[in-house]
Amino acid sequence: MVSRRAFLKGSGLALFGVGLMGGIPAFLAEAVASDKILRPYKRRRVMVCIFQRGAMDGLMAVTPFTDTYFQAARPTLRLASVAAGRTNPVIDLDGRWGLHPGMKAFEPFFKDGRLAIVQGIGSPNNTRSHFDAQDYMESGTPFNKGTSSGWLNRAVGLLGHDALTPFSAVSLTSALPRSFYGDNPSLAIANLQDFALQPKGNPAPAGVAARSFEELYDQASASLLRETGKESFEAMKLLQQADVANYRPAAGVVYPASQLGNAMRQIAQLIKMDVGLEVAFTESNGWDTHFNQGTDNGIFARSVTDLSNSIAAFWQDLEAYQDDVTVMTMTEFGRTVHQNGTGGTDHGRASCNFILGNRVDGGKVHGDVATLAIENLEDRRDLPVTTDFRSVFSAVADAHLQISNDKVLFPDWSGKKAAVMKV
Amino acid sequence: MSGTQVGPALRFPWRQAGLTERQAAAHLLSRFTYGAMPGQVDAVVKMGLENWFAQQLAAQDPDDSLEQILSRYDALELSNEQVAETYPRNGQVIRMAIRDGVVDKDSVKADRVAYRQVIRQYMEEKGYKRQQELFRQFFCQKILRAAYSENQLQEVMTDFWFNHFNVSLTKNDCAEFIPAYERDVIRPNALGRFNELLLKTAKSPAMLYYLDNFSSSGPARDTAQKRARGLNENYAREVMELHTLGVDGGYSQQDVTEAARVLTGWGVRLREDGDFFFNANRHDQGEKVVMGRVFPAGGGYEEGVDLLNMLAHHPSTAKFICHKIAVRFVNDDPPATLVDKMANTFLEKNGDIRQVLITMVSAPEFWSAGALREKTKSPFELAIGAVRSLHATIDQPMQLYNWVTRMGEREYYYQAPTGFPDKGAYWINTGSLLSRMNFGLALAAGRIPGVRVDLLALNHGHEPENARAALLIYGHLILPERNLDATVKRLTPMLNERDSTMTTPAVEGDPMLAQVVGIIIGSPEYQRR
Repeated sequence: MVSRRAFLKGSGLALFGVGLMGGIPAFLAEAVASDKILRPYKRRRVMVCIFQRGAMDGLMAVTPFTDTYFQAARPTLRLASVAAGRTNPVIDLDGRWGLHPGMKAFEPFFKDGRLAIVQGIGSPNNTRSHFDAQDYMESGTPFNKGTSSGWLNRAVGLLGHDALTPFSAVSLTSALPRSFYGDNPSLAIANLQDFALQPKGNPAPAGVAARSFEELYDQASASLLRETGKESFEAMKLLQQADVANYRPAAGVVYPASQLGNAMRQIAQLIKMDVGLEVAFTESNGWDTHFNQGTDNGIFARSVTDLSNSIAAFWQDLEAYQDDVTVMTMTEFGRTVHQNGTGGTDHGRASCNFILGNRVDGGKVHGDVATLAIENLEDRRDLPVTTDFRSVFSAVADAHLQISNDKVLFPDWSGKKAAVMKV
Repeated sequence: MSGTQVGPALRFPWRQAGLTERQAAAHLLSRFTYGAMPGQVDAVVKMGLENWFAQQLAAQDPDDSLEQILSRYDALELSNEQVAETYPRNGQVIRMAIRDGVVDKDSVKADRVAYRQVIRQYMEEKGYKRQQELFRQFFCQKILRAAYSENQLQEVMTDFWFNHFNVSLTKNDCAEFIPAYERDVIRPNALGRFNELLLKTAKSPAMLYYLDNFSSSGPARDTAQKRARGLNENYAREVMELHTLGVDGGYSQQDVTEAARVLTGWGVRLREDGDFFFNANRHDQGEKVVMGRVFPAGGGYEEGVDLLNMLAHHPSTAKFICHKIAVRFVNDDPPATLVDKMANTFLEKNGDIRQVLITMVSAPEFWSAGALREKTKSPFELAIGAVRSLHATIDQPMQLYNWVTRMGEREYYYQAPTGFPDKGAYWINTGSLLSRMNFGLALAAGRIPGVRVDLLALNHGHEPENARAALLIYGHLILPERNLDATVKRLTPMLNERDSTMTTPAVEGDPMLAQVVGIIIGSPEYQRR
């Protein structure tokens, strides 16, 4: 049994002078006490997943800028090459692949070897339906719709300890994402400030109501309501103490004023509060670029800028916590190699993803991608899937969270993990 | 509706369970309505519990005032064909606008404001409306029906079967067909026969698109057909696993594949007289064997009907469906003895849903201590129940829809074909519980726009003298037949503080009263039914 004082000292909770009834929240004390690994001073590691809904054009994000087949397939829809001396050229990563200039915030991470890119990642199921492909990626079972749980919820069940808190798995979204469906505790909340009684339109703290509710839930006969009620009030007080509304990021860090920027800022808040976060999720929208997606400017450029700036701000904001965190993006499929008749791209197969962290085998574009000659394409039109998304997700979950039970994490899969993490 | 005779001989064994008649009526209302309205326990007692239930099973009560309210919504009666013509998807509108030369395909990024203006004008000229408006009306009708329909059991069962045969607005391909799916397929059959419900869901555009069966076809006869052809097993798998037999219901992967072959060629063609279309050219003509039953070559459409009937009447289906019904109406882990009785009825009475419900309510297990107040209200049940408890008037339902979403149940958007899990542990977590408390406070204080409450009217205009009196009076109105002694004792000292942090209601009224009522609705006792 770890003493509360030891916990407080080690956890950073002391930093904001906890004045909670009875000291620290019971769920945290219990979490520490039941931590089977007995490393009470050790902060939890956190895997942060960002779902880019709508299917990102991976070949525009990370471009094969020397590939003549690609140049032919995209007469107007491609970025200026490095050599042309134009403004906003692609950022040369390795002589073959170039990063979209909107993502220049990623460049230093790539150069430092913290950012890995997997090109050609996707699902073995060739559906080009957003719904089906997202569903399959989030359930983690690309050929089975009936899987009731999501892969991240199963990941929570595989963390290897019972020290779960209300904040072990948090999705910064208004509804629970498919990835979080399942029996393990998980929480969806769009805004941490809503984690309060009467948050809106009422300046006065709901003193009487709050105390009344606390009293009633404390005595509730149904244990589910009693215990959850207790955790709710403790979690609420914890967030109030931390003054979530007035969070100040690390010096010089500016999050984009976007939905994703907001979500990433709040994930950073939770991490710094040491409330037990281990799996975080949020999403980014607007990737379904059938019309005029633009090149170094326009819809797609705005989206990648938001994505990379949000992640970069998050990373810098983490400061001393960087060792604990890995960020991974995902998207349901990629887009056609050829541009379509309306300045956009249609639904394709493989895309790319980004993995950021100090345990990442970074500074590389992973994947086994051939030139985009038509005979190398799937159905003569799409970048083929050369890396199964499960081989990447499982590698990250294993290296970062020590989740090695792939039978449970991805039940229908028996492939090899991708070498995207340092061994 | 297939009008089966309910029979006069209903008899509910509540007395044997040690309940008073009023307690039994309260229990009945908690299970087969969206919540008792003030005075409704008395009304049911007066009518007789069995008579009330028989009337709910018949689902023929006039609903004139509800229909009056619903007539304000102009999209509710549209056929799928009319929906497709009036509410095109966003992407379709842009494509049509480009085709018609209204917008230049390169202009999309240039000036977004001007571009949106052009699209809006184009839609107006063409008579197109935004798809979101169709869905808004659809959400509103669900809330209004649940709150105000006299035929409450039919609404509860509509919700149950929709969730059982779940389709989701998250999937664009099927979204526009979902309003008609609930209206034409689910609601009219919610108290009918299971096999009819199953067949009608199988043939509906919503399900055909949601689980991809529209795309499933027999083998290609030449290479030209190759890209558009192929077997898709999604529907065949889920119809066995989730709609009928259950995951351990005794079928193999081979049976799934064979069933998928049986169901090839089932497609959609939107027309006035029905949207289902059997395309013989896409049907696999060969012989199939599903769970030992041979479907000879050339069976066509009829063999699909035979297959679904076979699944609907299978003993595994009887067990699976009856267990699920018992979970909804009894408790999260219903006794096997009860499920067996219900399953026997299901098999004997040819999947007659009314008869199954009668067997359930006639069983002692339904009235036992293990059933009373054992269900946790879903967010929707909580919100609608509170509206009914307070006799609230809904002018604009969307804010209620948004509250239900915030509490963890975004109606019609559950992505997986399993539907929402029907268990307390799914609904109750730290975030959703605080939202429930906030909902209670907001509703009682009149701070939910579009929903009016008149708390004093509930007490015939009499203002309670103090917080304790308010708690007693409104506690018994809102939570009929519950023992509230402990609650009153605990809360009285706190409520008497009347401190400066008291809620200020948006409407005229007593803040103390609004606070007390809000606390009752957010209380643990009110979360259960």
